[in-house]
Amino acid sequence: MLSRSLTVLARMTVTFLVIVTLVFFATRMTGNPVDFVVGEGLTSEDRALLIRYFELDGSWWAQYRAFLRGFIDGNFGLSFIERRPVAEIVAARIWPSLQLLLSAMALTLVVALPLGILAAIRRDHWTGSAAMAVAFLGYAVPNFVLAVFLILVFAYWLNWLPVVGNATALHFILPTVTLAAGLIAALTRFTRNAMLDVLGQDYMRTARAKGLPERRVILHHGLRNAGITILSVIGLQVAGLAAAGSVVVESIFAWPGIGDLLVRSAIRRDYPVLQFGVIAVAAAVIVINAAVDLAYAWADPRLRRGTLA
Amino acid sequence: MTALAAPRAPGALARLWAEADAVQRAALVLALILLALALLAPLVAPFDPNAQSLLARMRPPAGFERARPGHWLGTDELGRDILSRCLFALRLTLGLALAGAVIGLVLGGTLGLIAGLLGGRVEAAVMGAVDAQIAVPFTLIALFVLVLFGNTLPVLVIVLGLYGWEQYARIVRAETRKLMAMPFIEAARAAGAGPVRIARVHLMPNLVSPLVVQFTLSLSGIVLLESTLSFLGLGVQPPTATLGAMVGVGRDYMPNAPWIVIAPAVTILLVTFAVQILGDWLRDRADPRLRPR
Amino acid sequence: MRRMLQGTALALGLAALTGPAAAQEITVVVANMSGYLDPARDHSNVGSQFYFNLFDPLIHRDYAKLEPEWLPGLAVSWQQTSPTTMELTLREGVQFHTGATMTADDVIFSLNRMFQADFPPYQVRQRDRLANFDRAEKIDDRTIRVHTKRPETLFETLLNLQQLFIVPEAYVKSLAGDPNALEHDDYEAFGQKPVGTGPYRLAEFVPGQMVVYERFEGFWGVPAPLAKATVRHVPEVASRLTALRTGEAHIATNIPPDQLAAIEADPGLKAESAQTALFHMMIMNVNHPKMQDARIRRALTLAIDRDLLNEALWLGKAEIPASHTLREFGPLYMPELKTFRYDPEEAKRLLAEAGYDGFEIVYDHFPNYYTNEVLAAQAIMEMWAAVGINGRLNQQPAWTGGKPEMMVRTWSNPMYFADPAGQFGVMWAPGGPAQSEGRFNTDEAYAAAWERFRFSADLADRKAAYAELMARIEADPPFLPLWRPYESWAMRQGVNWKPQPGHIPYVLDFRAGAITLDAMN
Repeated sequence: MLSRSLTVLARMTVTFLVIVTLVFFATRMTGNPVDFVVGEGLTSEDRALLIRYFELDGSWWAQYRAFLRGFIDGNFGLSFIERRPVAEIVAARIWPSLQLLLSAMALTLVVALPLGILAAIRRDHWTGSAAMAVAFLGYAVPNFVLAVFLILVFAYWLNWLPVVGNATALHFILPTVTLAAGLIAALTRFTRNAMLDVLGQDYMRTARAKGLPERRVILHHGLRNAGITILSVIGLQVAGLAAAGSVVVESIFAWPGIGDLLVRSAIRRDYPVLQFGVIAVAAAVIVINAAVDLAYAWADPRLRRGTLA
Repeated sequence: MTALAAPRAPGALARLWAEADAVQRAALVLALILLALALLAPLVAPFDPNAQSLLARMRPPAGFERARPGHWLGTDELGRDILSRCLFALRLTLGLALAGAVIGLVLGGTLGLIAGLLGGRVEAAVMGAVDAQIAVPFTLIALFVLVLFGNTLPVLVIVLGLYGWEQYARIVRAETRKLMAMPFIEAARAAGAGPVRIARVHLMPNLVSPLVVQFTLSLSGIVLLESTLSFLGLGVQPPTATLGAMVGVGRDYMPNAPWIVIAPAVTILLVTFAVQILGDWLRDRADPRLRPR
Repeated sequence: MRRMLQGTALALGLAALTGPAAAQEITVVVANMSGYLDPARDHSNVGSQFYFNLFDPLIHRDYAKLEPEWLPGLAVSWQQTSPTTMELTLREGVQFHTGATMTADDVIFSLNRMFQADFPPYQVRQRDRLANFDRAEKIDDRTIRVHTKRPETLFETLLNLQQLFIVPEAYVKSLAGDPNALEHDDYEAFGQKPVGTGPYRLAEFVPGQMVVYERFEGFWGVPAPLAKATVRHVPEVASRLTALRTGEAHIATNIPPDQLAAIEADPGLKAESAQTALFHMMIMNVNHPKMQDARIRRALTLAIDRDLLNEALWLGKAEIPASHTLREFGPLYMPELKTFRYDPEEAKRLLAEAGYDGFEIVYDHFPNYYTNEVLAAQAIMEMWAAVGINGRLNQQPAWTGGKPEMMVRTWSNPMYFADPAGQFGVMWAPGGPAQSEGRFNTDEAYAAAWERFRFSADLADRKAAYAELMARIEADPPFLPLWRPYESWAMRQGVNWKPQPGHIPYVLDFRAGAITLDAMN
């Protein structure tokens, strides 16, 4: 277990460095930010002036070194547009995103696990198909269409729920449902398939033969083993979500989250914010994945025994 | 979809049909209809999908007040025929989604298989790339690529093809390793079977099930991604119609002209429905443990 | 039913907006929000929304009127003492939001930081609109003089600019580094914590998300009508409209004309619309190898039926300018110039004459920035096709106007101040932005005409020179003004606000006289 943890740690570090470097050079390739930050129609003289002012006149290599220095002295620079420290800008966006992410994950688990199990054990019954149909709907429509639809029904016409920002618990309902819809669909399918995989296994038959109640067989033996697959999917989904899957939802509900920040920074070429934001998200995802990896190893006895290549 | 659903022999079609339940039959028929409509779009569409009629914008579907004769699903924000645009959009969207999903499958599947079979440094490199890909928002990667190389159709296909490759790689590599640890593989190895033979005989059949599920998921995922890119203004260039572009533009008109969004949204729904039901069905059929039931 | 639900289900979040105590508070949802609030460096259509509530210029105008009528601002009187000198008497007892009293030194500091700018973002603004100013000089505690390099006919107009709003010197210096010295970081920090003399102070600013104004009790003029105004960024149209319906917001900006019917159909809502003082433009690169022939570019403009587009996309309510001119320009408004028109036959003839071989002409545009931009772009492609022009759209969220391969693209030319020099003059000056980006050329004759138009003391001469410039533009066009857009703001019944004709575009003016609230329901 220890050697696996070390391997995971090493992998995390390498991944992180690769991303840091890629992000830096990718941003430099997409155009000079001055044209976006200051607006159109600059004279060439003024343009040169501002390029110097934003310290974009050095070579890429010099800029890269200055950028790496940020990791040592903690100074990641100022936003080109907001002119305040990028760490401050990104930090303010993380908590609202995380709140939305957690509430969407909670809803997803509560809905998707029972639906998936139901769909698996009632595979030949209409309830199984119905469970899949419910799950399917969430994955069948672009989430912004769903979001606007929910807004029109529950806010515009019925006037039950608010739509702007994250001030109260009520504000969470529509964005959470929108965000969870796609996740529920994915997780239900994976749960169903993972359950189907284990339902046919020998140990299930053994458990039944031992006279254990069906409920216990499914929940304890079935779900425990299917859990390995499900866990990996949750890991991927959390990552996908934290990684700007929520851009659309944040934009529509004026949610002050990080996905919205990243896309806007990318479009406006606010490199310092973009770099730090991507790196912050990447770091979070890497940590989550490492945790899932370790949990995965813990959950799968064969891997626990240390057959890691 | 034909590639997946096509029976190996004429007789197989009848057997397939006999085995299917009502929902699966409906999905199969739907898939065939959608495919036919996509292929025949230029023949069946009543109007040129890009022909504008600036003074007859946002007319509702037939049967509603102010409807324009001949435009069964109404007209869009530039007075174009929504039915015709939907048909051409279906054609292009299906093409994009299939191309993207196949590229992702081939790319990710190959890398995952290599990583799982060979292990060691190769595996570390592939999984490092997978980790990096997972950790960086795909929307941003798409944004970079589209901004850098221009949002033209070929670039869009490549971006859509990159979507989900890491999921195939992860799945294939995980399944491969799970199977490699199983006694019968060790036995096969001991009996002198090479990696290629092990992959062909022992791994492929076991990989079909998770891959088919992932393929159908990413097929729908790509349709949705394309619409998200349109939402961000990075989809296909106007006036080209894709289902994503139609809903992306139409969302602003939902309060006053909902039919602009409804037609393409329902088409997306039908496509994803058919793909996923067929995907589940194929998966169940491919799963040897479930076949006897 | 709706009211009851609002009272219960929404009690948590929305009670503050619906209760009687809130009669002086409003929430505004805007399509775009600034990342910083510094009126001196900013000239965007986004920023212009926010400054007027916080700051004052030396010379105000009656913003309810289209024709300039100058009113005392932080100066109570002024007199031009020579063609290059203006002497101003300052108002006494003016307080900044920090509580400090405004002095002549604050005024001199505010003006000279722009006239003699050494902060690069200020230098840019200095060059494009304040270039004729030389310096400001203190005469005594109540009197200052402003000197220009060449005779100036637009003193009042320029001293009214947001770039010359008055800020507190000591406060600016205290913001970063040495509290008594002026550093560039002070200006950077000011953009996050701006302080002025206006009727509202900035209670909270979350860049890109939210601006909160609170009434400033120490304001020198008529007190602010609102105790508090919260401005929130809500990019989606459907969300902005819904926020009005749920009562979360009272005013929503940037409502496309296509949504107006839905608002009018709702008894609880209304819309205020106006032709905003800017042009949406189609600009053309005169130096693109395939576009150097003026006949090609003339054909591109002649093929576009702007009246039909107005009818179809703007409910017929935008203005189609015959030339690059606005009624705000007063005596310099010259609608008699017929610089641009629709003539498809002439377009075909010019194309044939120029030997146009059907090469592709790429039309760059933003995905969703200017109202109706994407719709117009697609319609224009059809109109081009009708005369045989092979157009292709290139939609991307990037400014391409400085690239040599750019052929045609969208742009806007706002009125920065009410004079042709404040609109056409900012962008199309010799050596100005358009020429500097390499897509427009000028020669000595053009420069001479431009000088006369900008600086001549004789009105007739200015007009004649402007007509000359427009004739050159017509013969060898680098742009086509598509229209003066018809922009709309939606609001709840009971909110009485509308855009004032005397402002530059998009100002959200919440001063006394500009907004009142009926008892909210």
